Amino acid sequence: MLGYILRRLLYMTPILFGVSVVIFLILHLVPGDPARLVAGPDATLEDVEVIRSSLGLDRPLPAQYFSWLGNVFRGDLGRAARTHRPVTHELALTIPATIELTLSAIAIAVLLGVGAGTIAAVRRNSAFDYTSMVVALLGVCTPSFWLGLMLMLLFAVKLDLLPTTGRGGLENLVLPAVTLGAGAAAIIARVTRSSMLEVLGTDYIRTAHAKGLSARVVVLRHAVKNALIPVITVIGLEFGYLLAGAVVTETVFAYPGVGRLLVEAIDFRDYPVIQGALLVLALQFALVNLVVDVLYAFFDPRISYE
Amino acid sequence: MKPLKVLGILLLGWLLVAVGLSSPSFAGQAERVITIAQYADAVSLDPQDTNDNASYSIEKPVLEGLIGFNEKMEQVPQLAERWDASPDARVYTFYLRKGVKFHDGTPFNAAAVKASFDRIRNPDNKLRRYTLYKIISQIDVIDDSTVRFTLSEPFGAMIATFAHPAGGINSPTAVEKYGKEYGKNPVGTGPYKFEEWVPNDHLTLVKNPDYWDKNTAAQVDKIIVKPVPEDGTRIAMLQKGDAQFINAVPYSMAEVVKGDRNLSLAESESIYTFWVAMNVQKKPFNDLRVRQALNYAINKEAIIKAVLRGHGKPADSPLAPQVWGYTPVKAYPYDPAKAKALLAEAGYPNGFKTILRGGVTTDAKEVMVAIQGQLKQVGVDAEIISLPAATLSAERFKPLAENKGEMDYAGWSPSTGDADWGIRPLLTKENWPPSNYTIGFYTHPRLEEVVKAALQTSDGAKRKAAYAEAQRIIMDDCPWIFLWVNYLLGGTRANVGGISIQPDGIGFYRSVSYK
Repeated sequence: MLGYILRRLLYMTPILFGVSVVIFLILHLVPGDPARLVAGPDATLEDVEVIRSSLGLDRPLPAQYFSWLGNVFRGDLGRAARTHRPVTHELALTIPATIELTLSAIAIAVLLGVGAGTIAAVRRNSAFDYTSMVVALLGVCTPSFWLGLMLMLLFAVKLDLLPTTGRGGLENLVLPAVTLGAGAAAIIARVTRSSMLEVLGTDYIRTAHAKGLSARVVVLRHAVKNALIPVITVIGLEFGYLLAGAVVTETVFAYPGVGRLLVEAIDFRDYPVIQGALLVLALQFALVNLVVDVLYAFFDPRISYE
Repeated sequence: MKPLKVLGILLLGWLLVAVGLSSPSFAGQAERVITIAQYADAVSLDPQDTNDNASYSIEKPVLEGLIGFNEKMEQVPQLAERWDASPDARVYTFYLRKGVKFHDGTPFNAAAVKASFDRIRNPDNKLRRYTLYKIISQIDVIDDSTVRFTLSEPFGAMIATFAHPAGGINSPTAVEKYGKEYGKNPVGTGPYKFEEWVPNDHLTLVKNPDYWDKNTAAQVDKIIVKPVPEDGTRIAMLQKGDAQFINAVPYSMAEVVKGDRNLSLAESESIYTFWVAMNVQKKPFNDLRVRQALNYAINKEAIIKAVLRGHGKPADSPLAPQVWGYTPVKAYPYDPAKAKALLAEAGYPNGFKTILRGGVTTDAKEVMVAIQGQLKQVGVDAEIISLPAATLSAERFKPLAENKGEMDYAGWSPSTGDADWGIRPLLTKENWPPSNYTIGFYTHPRLEEVVKAALQTSDGAKRKAAYAEAQRIIMDDCPWIFLWVNYLLGGTRANVGGISIQPDGIGFYRSVSYK
């Protein structure tokens, strides 16, 4: 197992390298002049050129890329083009915020999703089953923009129970986490339900019933553990996806996360921020996938990585 | 399922604690705090390295210039008590206020002024606002309270340039101390001092108890500025009271704010003019009759009513009324019959096809759709090309040979409040892209002369006369479809006053108070 983990970590290096090259190329191919955007619309051409040289954008492309890469190995992701703040500093502020939000959202999503999906499968074709699956469908289709604003208007403005925006204590996390978790909960519920249905139809479950075990024991001790394997994949994917920052939720709730940082950087073609943030996010995603794969081995003793 | 149960109980507990924590706290009720929600965070707090209104709005209570603007964009003495300009518009002398100190205790004097302007006009510092002051060739400290600027060439609009927010004076001690990080630690002479800035989260200013003017001193203890990009969220914050002022209120929500008796709308006429630039180097826009026709084809009042919800007025000049040097010339009335006649005369009885370029904001798209509809009535078929800011800017700044522009919807405000910056960058040959914003590639020999002449003198009357002629030429030759001047909307809680948005779009926060 340890060998497997080390090998996976090793494979990440060329992948991250490849990601950084692709991002660099795409940035330079897409229209939009960072120097002009930093200088502003009423800047003269001279202003723009001064800024272009201060950003190092007048050097040939390979020089720009390798100088950036060299700095990365020294732990220096450069300075943001607009604010001149160190990129590592920007990420150190925003990524923990996003992780906090994501963990809260996933906790809500797992609780609601696995719970509802399991009950729906066990009470198949009941009223609960149908309602919960329709609600799940709504959860997937509802734009988080609308859901977030509606929750804010109801709970923060009308009922005055929670703050509207920002990052702070637990009270600031509730509404954005629910907004973000809703979509993930819906997907997790559906996958849990179908996976449970499959497991509930197997021989060993029928044997357990035949042995005289109560339905509760059968479901909770035998079925759920096995049904969860595909669900873990989904949870892992959702987690990795959400870690990249749910930009819409972060914008609606003025939450200082990395999604907002990245989208603003893209609007302004802030190359150092985009390259640095995407590199770190790619690393995060790869690590989450590794954790998910390792978790499989714990949930399914048949899986071995030797 | 044990883990799930535990998770469930933990989450329920978390929810209850969260709601409990959110009840109003009793701490800090002795301190008067104003929270402002802005549409964007500051980019830098160094006025010499700033070119966006969100940053300027926060800098203004902290950093002052020799000359300032009041809420109506009128020049008022700030750190200079008075000044004079040589008739040839080359030498400017300022007589400074005495007894003023920067927030860090450094005395404000002529040497500090010289240090501040030497910094911005030094190209090695690579500050964004370098070209605004590079025309200064020499700065002399005459005595502790007198400083003289000599320009390398005559520039009649220089006084207005000193009033520009980039003219904020920085404490030389702080600049020395913070170096490249000064943009995160501004030190000025204003009624508020900078305290802290957590990027993308909040920024705090505190009262300066030693401010030099008791009449305009800070009236609250703390101002907290939060960046909230989503319009709906800002309104929610204002309704709930999480913010006492919001910058800005979208037109679609103006009635919501007006209708709420806990809130009030702070409305100010801007110095922005909106227009559609026509590429006069391309057919059919090279024909004056076509340009006139399109001006008659647009029903500006209707669009103002529908998109701006009435918060605007038709333009009768390329400049807005509060710009220094403005002269009302004429507004083209809505006359589609006349438009069709002119088009026919020019050889386009069945209209023509063209493209209309603009941005992706909701307002911009609604305006362009309205314009497209009205142009169709006279036979002009305009395809809308809506581009995000970065791409739009890249396209607009392409030189003539590569520029695909035909009709471009845009707006502009002269950040110096002076007619020169409202005309020259937009309508003269030396400002054709990629140089600056003359995106219609317009030039007119007499206009070029007049605009140049207006800079050669500091005599206000002479300059005004020159700009009056310039505005007449522009309105007659119509390089643009002239649209409107818009009103800027801010939202306040009803118990808060002294705060609004200046005509140039910069927040006027320094005199905020609880009523």
